[in-house]
Amino acid sequence: MAAEQINSILVADIGSVHTRLALFDLVEGEYRLIASARARTTAEPPLGKASLGVERAAQRMSELIGRQLLDESSEDLFLMPESEGHGVDAFLAMGSAGRPMRVFLVGLTPEISLASGQRVLAGSFVTITGTLCPDDLRSETEQLNALLTSDSDLILIVGGTDGGADDILLAQLHKVARALSLIRRGTMPVVLYAGNQALRAHVKALLTPYTTVFIARNVRPSLNDEQLFPAQIELALVYDEYRTRCPGGFAEVGRYSQVGVVPTVQGTISAVRYLSTLPSAGRGPLCLDIGSANSLLVSATRGEPHYVVRTDLGVGHSFPEALEAITPAQVRRWLPSQVSDEALWDYAYNKQLRPATVPATLDDLLIEQALAREIARTLVDAARPAWKTGLSQLLPSFNPIIGAGAILAETPHPGVAAMLLLDALQPVGVVDLRLDPHQALAALGVIAYLKPVVTVQALETGALVDLGTAFCPLGRVRTGHGAMRVEIRQPGEAILRHTVRGGELWVAPVAPGTRVEVTVSLARGLSLNGRRRIKRRLVTGTAGIIFDARGRPLAMPRPQDRARVLTAWLKAAMGGQLPEAPPIESPEDLHADMPDLATPERGMLAMASEYPAWDEEWPDASLS
Amino acid sequence: MPHYPETSVIKGLARVIRHRQLPRGVVHRRTLVTAGAQVSAVTVVLQGEVLREYHVLDVAQALKWPKATPAQIAEAILVTAGQRVRLGQELAQRGRGRRQRVLQAPTDGEVVEVDEGRIILQSSERAVEVLAKIPGEVESVENDVVRISGTGAVIQCAWGNGQFFFGSYVFLPQEGFVALRQADPAMSPYRGKMLISPVPVERAELTIARQAQVAGVVAPGMPASLREFAMGLTFPVMLTEGFGHRQPTTLIYRLLHSNMGRQAAFDAALPERWSWEHPEIVIPLPAGGMYAEVPSVLRALEVGDQVRLTRAPWDGVLAEVVALPAGAQVIDNGLRVQCARVRLPNKREVIVPLANLETLG
Repeated sequence: MAAEQINSILVADIGSVHTRLALFDLVEGEYRLIASARARTTAEPPLGKASLGVERAAQRMSELIGRQLLDESSEDLFLMPESEGHGVDAFLAMGSAGRPMRVFLVGLTPEISLASGQRVLAGSFVTITGTLCPDDLRSETEQLNALLTSDSDLILIVGGTDGGADDILLAQLHKVARALSLIRRGTMPVVLYAGNQALRAHVKALLTPYTTVFIARNVRPSLNDEQLFPAQIELALVYDEYRTRCPGGFAEVGRYSQVGVVPTVQGTISAVRYLSTLPSAGRGPLCLDIGSANSLLVSATRGEPHYVVRTDLGVGHSFPEALEAITPAQVRRWLPSQVSDEALWDYAYNKQLRPATVPATLDDLLIEQALAREIARTLVDAARPAWKTGLSQLLPSFNPIIGAGAILAETPHPGVAAMLLLDALQPVGVVDLRLDPHQALAALGVIAYLKPVVTVQALETGALVDLGTAFCPLGRVRTGHGAMRVEIRQPGEAILRHTVRGGELWVAPVAPGTRVEVTVSLARGLSLNGRRRIKRRLVTGTAGIIFDARGRPLAMPRPQDRARVLTAWLKAAMGGQLPEAPPIESPEDLHADMPDLATPERGMLAMASEYPAWDEEWPDASLS
Repeated sequence: MPHYPETSVIKGLARVIRHRQLPRGVVHRRTLVTAGAQVSAVTVVLQGEVLREYHVLDVAQALKWPKATPAQIAEAILVTAGQRVRLGQELAQRGRGRRQRVLQAPTDGEVVEVDEGRIILQSSERAVEVLAKIPGEVESVENDVVRISGTGAVIQCAWGNGQFFFGSYVFLPQEGFVALRQADPAMSPYRGKMLISPVPVERAELTIARQAQVAGVVAPGMPASLREFAMGLTFPVMLTEGFGHRQPTTLIYRLLHSNMGRQAAFDAALPERWSWEHPEIVIPLPAGGMYAEVPSVLRALEVGDQVRLTRAPWDGVLAEVVALPAGAQVIDNGLRVQCARVRLPNKREVIVPLANLETLG
């Protein structure tokens, strides 16, 4: 179907834990997000069929909106074409589930071509297994082994400028060809070439006898010019092919999708890039997505995106790896109660065993939120060189800040989601906080490949949840001393006046969607956008209006004050009320039917030798 | 709205179908069974080899023959591509008697290429054998995947250390692991038997178990910090619940108790995301005229189902689903999630997130 004829678009995001569906359609002349639904991802054993999760989410969506999406008569996943209010015009799929693609990087210079290659890969769910360049001091045998024993899915070859010298890169190509010629069994890696364009014919002649070769435009056409986007587009195709070869049944989903299965991160990058080109964008948006297996941070300034993707940081499948990278001590900084290293490691490995479970106690929830904050800090640290912030530990003035992933989007109170974003990213100034609970941002980024007008209109018509505006002054005042004098004027209500003290977080109790005028006067040593008094007209979000006088950089409480201070912050974020602890059950009551194991039934052991073997008839098998 | 929970199979009698295949990166050598064959748990069904490092051997250099022509080098080479060689085997030879020069294989492996005066050899690191792990019948052999079917009690566990044992089991005596220390290993009734502990184990207990020469240990939990230690043990360690001080699921221990005296397959497979192997205990049982069905992993949750709760504060508790509220519910920590109302063994009814329930197959 031609893009002009497409009105309704269903986008599936196959995440590590959840498969989410988002339906966009034309409503009163504008494209909007009209429904979302989710089901447990079914790509992993014992089901091993990603389409089943899509099907279940589609059934759920049908029940929610009364629009039939699946053809019941088909055994396979089959989405109905739109007709009389049922079905959809187009289906697109993206995914972050599955084993990250293993990539071996071949280039010429570590500082130039290999660095560009790494930036190409940074926007995808990949693990770099090794690198090879002419400066490599390893013997020929060692280089060969590095390439062949890395068990890579892709070899990315970059290097050389267009029209520049080609003999050194040609020698590298011969090494790759020799290595590929030796692979007799197992998986043959595919090749993506994004180097000197003059060598395209050589690349094809040398490597196509052994494997599939993808060609992209040179990532470094000249020394001063870096073009990552064409290689990233080609990488998305490679990723799609990789997904279809992977276990999990992605091939079936990809068959129905007009773009195959695109990495979710590509969708997010595309949408964030679009947001940064809006006239009101300022420095541009920042999106933090913390998933079960992967996490990413994407920012963009005037159409130029920067991103960090970590396939080893997450609050589910990757919990142990994240804890290893972050350390228990760093996580404990955010916990009001004392939790030992051992308890944290137990928690991490249990969560990895059952990544889809949700914390049911407050203590468990706080552990996961603590890890999420530190994952965000790690991503921010990794992104700083690209932001060129020098030695400053402050976050550049990105606006809006968007949070995605269940740990951020599903909290006891919207104020907690806002606090998590503030704690994790520590923005400075006046910043709009948003949530993406439906993974709509990435979906709209993928839709942009097909019909950009949907992306534009749906983002303007509330595809994201507006959490609220946060006032985060630069600087710090002593704990307990007046930091911000706040006046909030709302129509038909008395002026709300409050003094926020140093070290405090205050969420103003104003109903969502209210138009208000906020005046903030700051104490000496603090500033908001370079000023000590600021007046803003704004519409309140679901969390109200947030005033953060905890200082920038954020002043973390001393260990002896942690319980009191962190509980106070949490209480403030939750609108002044903390959940009550439930009564504790006696383990004896809950495990009362445990047999007396130490004393076997009379004669049971003696009878053992008289038991029939497994394949003999057993006349009176009585099994519980 | 149907909800499809996770499943941990705990069944007294089930038809068990398992697919056995070589792990990723292992090269297939032989399939040792055919469809219709009866296998025991320890029958080797597949053989393979882990091929590892490549060795690029320059023949002229090794034979100290720099002026040799390509034809002379080709004549000196004694092996061809695809040939398997042993450590020390002659790959190339020049001259005779005292002037003889020989190039020997630096490792066991396979010659993958002989070209331009070079021999490229890939070393074989180790042989790999895949066991049937359950007694039964081979249903099919396709693409180096062996499908085996049997019947028995099935208990899926949370974690295993990668080892396997088939044999009989005993329960931990009332005195605990101390009783094992006192016994002479040679005379001990625990020697060579799988030990079922209803309480979590620590390093000291696993060390005692090793000294007492037990065949393995099953326990509800152990500290996660012992993972590496447990993976270094040569006997299976299986956790029925997970890491830390976990309460046991009573049904698992009742099943093991009621089948005391039988032999069982303790497959302590290390859980991996994309692997079809799962740590499990299979107690082979004849169906005895009863219908043994394949455990379902596709069934939607229904009122009346027995479920296992997997998260604190009720982890390991078996409960009965009494209601499935349509909308999201607020749980004790304030999260708003889809829930089931369940009846605990003490008859109290509580709401539990659907994500924290497992059906039992």
